Amino acid sequence: MDDLLNEFLTETNESLGTLDVELVRFERDSSDVTILGNIFRLMHTIKGTCGFLGLPRLEAVAHAGENVLGKFRDGELLVTPDAVTLILKCIDHIRKLLAELEAAGKEPEGSDAGLIGEINAIAQAQPAAPTGTASDDSAPPLFDDTGFPVAAELLAEVAHALDPQQILFVSAPEAPTAPAPEAAIPAPAPEPVSVPAAVKDTPVAEARESALAASSIRVNVDVIENLMTLISELVLTRNQLMQLQRMQKSGEFKVPLQRLSHITSELQDGVTRMRMQPIGNAWAKLPRIVRDLCVESGKKIELVQRGADTELDRQVLEMIKDPLTHMIRNSADHGIESPADRLAAGKSASGVITLEAYHEGGHIFIRISDDGRGLDVARIRRKAIANGLASEADLASMSEQQVLQFVFRAGFSTAEKVTSVSGRGVGMDVVRTNVERIGGTIEMNSTAGRGTVFLIKIPLTLAIVSALIVETAGQRFAVPQINVIELVRAGNRSSARIETIKNASVLRLRDRLLPLVSLRTLLGMGEEDSTRDRFILVSQVGAFTFGVVVDRVFDTEEIVVKPVAPILRGTAFYAGNTILGDGSVIMILDPNGIAGAAGQGQAQLESAVTKSGEGEHRDSGHVSLLLFRAGSKELKAVPLEAVARIEEVSVSSIEHVGGRPVVQYRDHLMPLIALDDGHSWKEDGKQPILVFDKNGRALGIAVDEVVDIARDRVTIELQPGREGLLGSAIVAGKATDLIDIEHHVARNFSASFGMDYPVSGEAA
Amino acid sequence: MKTQRSCLIVDDSAVIRRVVAEMFRDMKFTVSEAPTGLHAVAHCREQAPDLIMLDWNMPVMDGITCLREVRALEMAKRPIVIMCTTESQLSKIQEALAAGADEYIMKPFDQGVLLDKLSQFDLA
Repeated sequence: MDDLLNEFLTETNESLGTLDVELVRFERDSSDVTILGNIFRLMHTIKGTCGFLGLPRLEAVAHAGENVLGKFRDGELLVTPDAVTLILKCIDHIRKLLAELEAAGKEPEGSDAGLIGEINAIAQAQPAAPTGTASDDSAPPLFDDTGFPVAAELLAEVAHALDPQQILFVSAPEAPTAPAPEAAIPAPAPEPVSVPAAVKDTPVAEARESALAASSIRVNVDVIENLMTLISELVLTRNQLMQLQRMQKSGEFKVPLQRLSHITSELQDGVTRMRMQPIGNAWAKLPRIVRDLCVESGKKIELVQRGADTELDRQVLEMIKDPLTHMIRNSADHGIESPADRLAAGKSASGVITLEAYHEGGHIFIRISDDGRGLDVARIRRKAIANGLASEADLASMSEQQVLQFVFRAGFSTAEKVTSVSGRGVGMDVVRTNVERIGGTIEMNSTAGRGTVFLIKIPLTLAIVSALIVETAGQRFAVPQINVIELVRAGNRSSARIETIKNASVLRLRDRLLPLVSLRTLLGMGEEDSTRDRFILVSQVGAFTFGVVVDRVFDTEEIVVKPVAPILRGTAFYAGNTILGDGSVIMILDPNGIAGAAGQGQAQLESAVTKSGEGEHRDSGHVSLLLFRAGSKELKAVPLEAVARIEEVSVSSIEHVGGRPVVQYRDHLMPLIALDDGHSWKEDGKQPILVFDKNGRALGIAVDEVVDIARDRVTIELQPGREGLLGSAIVAGKATDLIDIEHHVARNFSASFGMDYPVSGEAA
Repeated sequence: MKTQRSCLIVDDSAVIRRVVAEMFRDMKFTVSEAPTGLHAVAHCREQAPDLIMLDWNMPVMDGITCLREVRALEMAKRPIVIMCTTESQLSKIQEALAAGADEYIMKPFDQGVLLDKLSQFDLA
């Protein structure tokens, strides 16, 4: 019975989906009797099925809906938006009951008298004036009001003339305006039977339900998934055999192996295609959503869909469904203006949202464009500043395009008011995250007053990905290539070096400190060996860029992703496993999970060391401070922004020029200064130095120890009592002296460089 | 031993087909299914069943059209056609009987009702 119930749920949910779409179409053109016939039939079938399964609540609700639809069909009731809304409500209610039925395994307790009463009230309403399209039950008209034969009747006629197994009715989305003899195309017969069909000169009107359905069967997803797994195994075994063959001298297996390889590839193609579904399946709900929104907001919006038959992997399809819905909502709610605003702007009262999908080079592109008001760059600017995402200076240097990208940031919404449609809180960042999770990208372009275009690029399938094979502690791992931005070799002889700040490793990469995660320590395989050359995979998850330290990097390989075994599901570091051509099983790393692990220990560091000029991770009022000790036990702090680098020089390399300590630094002499005059220079060992960059000249301040980087909202509690101090403040729970770095630099500058300290802004 | 009786169930709902098929299998029928009238006509063309359970509302070709098609076919034996419908209007039932249906049954039905309806025919 459970099985039967499942089948019922699947079938009914499918019907409900079609109902949504058809009803919206019908509302637009309420004279189309074939659509109405279809709608009525679907509701009728739902009701009938419920009756068989003993689901009285569902049956009663469906019956009420069917009743109204029947009256529409028989011309006894005028089709009004209110009535259609009620039918849609009825569909929603059925859906709700189905969900409860699915969860509980039985129909929930309760009464639907309210809704049924409402529907019945509509059904009792004034009968419609007789119209030309109203039909008598027993004798439906052969011609509709466009003067063309009604489809069902004609189909029957055609079917009479033809062998039903030999024809396919091609569904035409628009009602034909002229007889279309080509509309019926003879398809290759599944079985070689009977005479060829004579289709010529037979006028065929639209056939909504194509006989194509006859050639398709419903297969349980599990069966296909299982088949896919087996194919993957076969591919891997094939790869192994091919590898063995290459090592063999004799060629006796060569030809059959090649044939096996060929067939395997075809099989793989075939099964991959089986998993494909038209993207239209993910769009089915959209017309309804747009329609509801129009009714609620008084807007006029036309949703144009192109390429609904573009196919993609059902797994990808599932994951793209919600983001798409959200984006269409956004476009309809925020993008398209009210009819009055549109007319005032010289546009037609009705807005257009175009949804388009197409294949290109192994990827699916989905384009969502509207002809609405476009994004307000000025407002995004204001918002970015208000939310502390960027400073005015940052924004000034950004192009409009760059500013627009802020809408993808967390917690960013430009809607002035919260509507019931888009709600609050869920923004484009969720869409972006979802798209990126399946290895896709999203781009956006907007022109004020002209509209907005989003372009989503997603891979065709998730089952086979291109991955980079790396090694750590003698074990190999695969990293999906889409997650790797760049590879950096870090070693003693290379310019990139791994540095340590407060027990955290960082990599200095093009003037930016990149937090590092050691795969070795992360997976508990020991400590990093700092003497060896290592490789860093630079990866980005959301706005968080980080590096993963590995020992070796091999090659890229197309791998078949297999799910993680349940025993490993608890660790977030693995996205799955795979079998390489040589037969070895290796784990696929999940950068998202690793970022999570890295984020806990490093979020603070990461936010602090990311160079401020890029406008990332800055909250208004929060300052990143470098904490250190110099001369005394008290903590001292300088704004991290001011510090160009942190260096350690060996004391022996400190020289004296004119009685002042200097050190050779990047082919220049860098003067060293101490914060107090009483600073005692170390005799040997290493001297930590904070390097400040003033107008192209480096200046080093000798400190005893770099303690930490803190990120805090700083309030200066005590006014300075001494020169060179801004004051004292509580930083990370400890009293800390804030050093007035400008003072020290200025005091030493003229002495060090033999010139006056330049007034800010002018070059020295 | 008597040869098994055959039954063709015509309904666009797979769930309903399954439920009804179960009832007929219980009664030792061999069961075939068709999702539309078109399929049913095609099936009858090849092999006439003893009994057809025919739904009224179906896509592509509805039950009443299918019935007329089937009755127009030249067949070795004349199948018993039972129209399955939720339409309670007398006009519909009369239309079906006029078109050559032998009996009608209101959906939903259970095995008891079905047996009652079948008892008048020389089947069981």
